[in-house]
Amino acid sequence: MISRRALEIVAAALTGIFGVVVIVSSIDNDIGWSSAGVDAGTFPFLTGIIIVLGSLYNMGQGAMGRGSLAMVRIAVTPSELRRLAGLFVPAAIFVAVIPLVGMYLASAGYVFAVLALPRRQSVLRALVIAAATPLTLYVVFERMFQVSLPRGALAAAFGF
Amino acid sequence: MENLQSLLHGFTIAVTVPHLTLMVIGVLLGILVGVLPGLGAPNGVSLLLPLTFGMQPVSAIILLSSMYWGALFGGSVTSILFNIPGEPSSVATTFDGYPMARDGRPTTALATAFGSAAFGALVGVILITFLASWVAQVALAFGPPEYFAVYFLAFASFVGMGGAAPIKTVVALAIGFAIAAIGIDTVSGSVRLTMGIDELVKGVSFVVAVMGLFGIGELLIAVEEEFQARAVSSRVDWKEVFRALGRLPQHGIALLRSAAIGCWMGITPGGPTAASFMSYGIAKRFSRNGARFGTGEAEGIVAPETADHAAGTSALLPMLSLGIPGSATAAVMMGGLMIWGLNPGPMLFVDQKDFVWGLIASMYVGNIVAVALVLLTVPVFAALMRIPFAVIAPLIVIICVVGAYSVSNSYLDVVLMLGFGVVGYLFKKLHYPLAPLVLAIVIGDKAEDAFRQAMLMSKGSLGIFFANRLVTTLVLAGMTLLLLPLALQIVRLLRKSDEAAGEKVRII
Repeated sequence: MISRRALEIVAAALTGIFGVVVIVSSIDNDIGWSSAGVDAGTFPFLTGIIIVLGSLYNMGQGAMGRGSLAMVRIAVTPSELRRLAGLFVPAAIFVAVIPLVGMYLASAGYVFAVLALPRRQSVLRALVIAAATPLTLYVVFERMFQVSLPRGALAAAFGF
Repeated sequence: MENLQSLLHGFTIAVTVPHLTLMVIGVLLGILVGVLPGLGAPNGVSLLLPLTFGMQPVSAIILLSSMYWGALFGGSVTSILFNIPGEPSSVATTFDGYPMARDGRPTTALATAFGSAAFGALVGVILITFLASWVAQVALAFGPPEYFAVYFLAFASFVGMGGAAPIKTVVALAIGFAIAAIGIDTVSGSVRLTMGIDELVKGVSFVVAVMGLFGIGELLIAVEEEFQARAVSSRVDWKEVFRALGRLPQHGIALLRSAAIGCWMGITPGGPTAASFMSYGIAKRFSRNGARFGTGEAEGIVAPETADHAAGTSALLPMLSLGIPGSATAAVMMGGLMIWGLNPGPMLFVDQKDFVWGLIASMYVGNIVAVALVLLTVPVFAALMRIPFAVIAPLIVIICVVGAYSVSNSYLDVVLMLGFGVVGYLFKKLHYPLAPLVLAIVIGDKAEDAFRQAMLMSKGSLGIFFANRLVTTLVLAGMTLLLLPLALQIVRLLRKSDEAAGEKVRII
C-alpha cells in the first residue's frame, strides 16, 4: 500500500532533482547577458530555479497533508498496484528486448504473452493476434511508408 | 469582385474528374497517416512528392493539399478514441473528446469533431479567398517581439484555468520549458541540457512526450481503475452522426469565436497548436458550461477542432503569398512548388493565376470531399471501441512504442516515451496539470527564441514589447487574460468564501 503522502513527497523529490540537474547543466551554457544577447543558459537556469522552489513547496504541502487531495489518504491499494504492474512490467520488458530481438519478434512475443498467459483470451486467438501485429507493422511502416523498424542484434547475427 | 471571378475560374480547373479522383486518393492516404501516430502529414507529403514530378503543378498541389486535409482530420481520431494525439494540434481535442468517447459516445464525439473542423476549414478558405492581399501585409508586420507576444497570449489564455493547485501548475509549466530547451539552441548554436548523451542533441520530440504522457499514462490510470468501456451499441448508428452534426449550430458562438481565433493564429504565424489550446482556454472561460469542460462537453471538442482547422487552412496563405512555410508540411509542399518550376511569393498571384486559384478552389472542394469521406469512416473507427480492453491495451503500447521510434529512428526515444508514461501517471494521480506541460514543450522553444531575438534587437530593453500598436495590443491582451481570472477569484473570495469549496473540478 502506498500512502498519498509518500507519493506526493516522491513526486516532488523527482521534479526537484530534475530541477537541480537543469540548473547544473545550464551553468555550462553561461548565464546572463553577453555581446550575443541573452546567453543560452539563462532560460533553462531560471526554469530550473522555479522547478526547485516549486518542488520544495509541493513537498512541504504533501508532507503536511495539505492541498487539493487532502482527503485522500491512500493513493494506491495493493490490488491496484498489482494491476499497474501487470500492465507496466510486460511493457517494460518488451521495450528492453527490442535492441536484442528487434521490433517484430518483440511485439509478437509481447502480445502473445499478455493475451495468452493470464488466460483472458484463448491461445489460438492470442496466436492469431500475435502473428497479425508484426505483419501489419511490416506492411504499413516498412512497405507503405518506408520507415524501417529495428531488427535487433539477433537478426544482425543471422545476417539480415 | 475580381477575386470572385478568379475563384469561379479556379472551380472550372478543380472540379474535373481526374482532380476529384486525386482528391479522394489524397484524403484517404492523409487519413491513414493522420490516424497512425508517429507518421504525420510531412511523412505522407514527402513520400508522394516524387510521384508528382510528372504531373501538372495544379494536379500535384491538389493531391498534396488533399493529403494534408485528410491528415488534419485523421489526427483527431486517435485523440478521441485512445487519448493519443497524432499531431500536436490535436492535443486539446483529447481533453473533452476522450472522456466523451469513454462515456460510450464515440460516434457523437467524432462527428462533432469533424463537423466543427469542417466549419473551421471553410472559414479559413473564405478568408483566403477574400483577404489574400491584406493578410500578406499582416504577416509581414511580424517580427520577433510580435511572435513572442502571440505565444505569450496563447500561454496566458490557457494557464491557470485547469483548477489545479497553482504551484503544481507552475512546476509543470517550468518542466515543459526545460524539456523544450534540450538539444541545440537555435539562437546561439550551443548544445543545452543533454547531460553528455549524444542522442539528446536533436532534442526531445513532442510526439515522444505526448505518447507517453497521454497514451501510456492514461492506460496506467485505466488499469488502476479497472476500466470497463461503456458498452457501445454494436449497430452502426448513422443517425447519431447526423444528430451530432445537427446539434452543432447550438454552439454557434463557440464556432465563430474559435474560427476567428484560428484564422488569426494561422495568419500570424502562431500556428494551429497554439490556436487550438488558446481557443479551448477561452471557451472554457466564457462558456456557460465552462465548469463541466474536461468531462466530455461537446463545446470542449468544438472549440479546439474549429480553431485547429481554421489555422491549418489559413496557414497556407503565408506560404503562397510570401514564401514563408508555416509548418513542416508547408515546407515540403514549397519544395514541391520549386521542383515544379514555380516561385512561391507575391509574384505567384500575378504570374500563375491558374495555379493559385485552382488551388484555392480545390480547398473548398477538397475539404468537402474530406468531410464526406471522414464521416463515412466514423462508424468504423467507433467500432474500435468495442474491442476488449485486454486486447486493445497491448496494441496501444505497441502503437506508442513504434510511434516514438519512427519519429527519428532512435531507441532512446522509446525508453524516454515509457518514462514519460510513468510521469504522466504520477502527475495525473497527484493532480499536476498536463496541459501546461505539453503546451510548454511544444511552443516553449519558439517563445524563448522570439524573446531573445527581440532582446537582441532592442539591446536588452523591454520597451520593445510596447514599441508599436500591434505588439502593445497583443501584450496587453495577454496580461488581461492572465490577470482576469486572478481578479475574479479575489472578488469571489471576498463575496462568498464557503460556496466554492464543494465544487469538484477536473484537472486537465
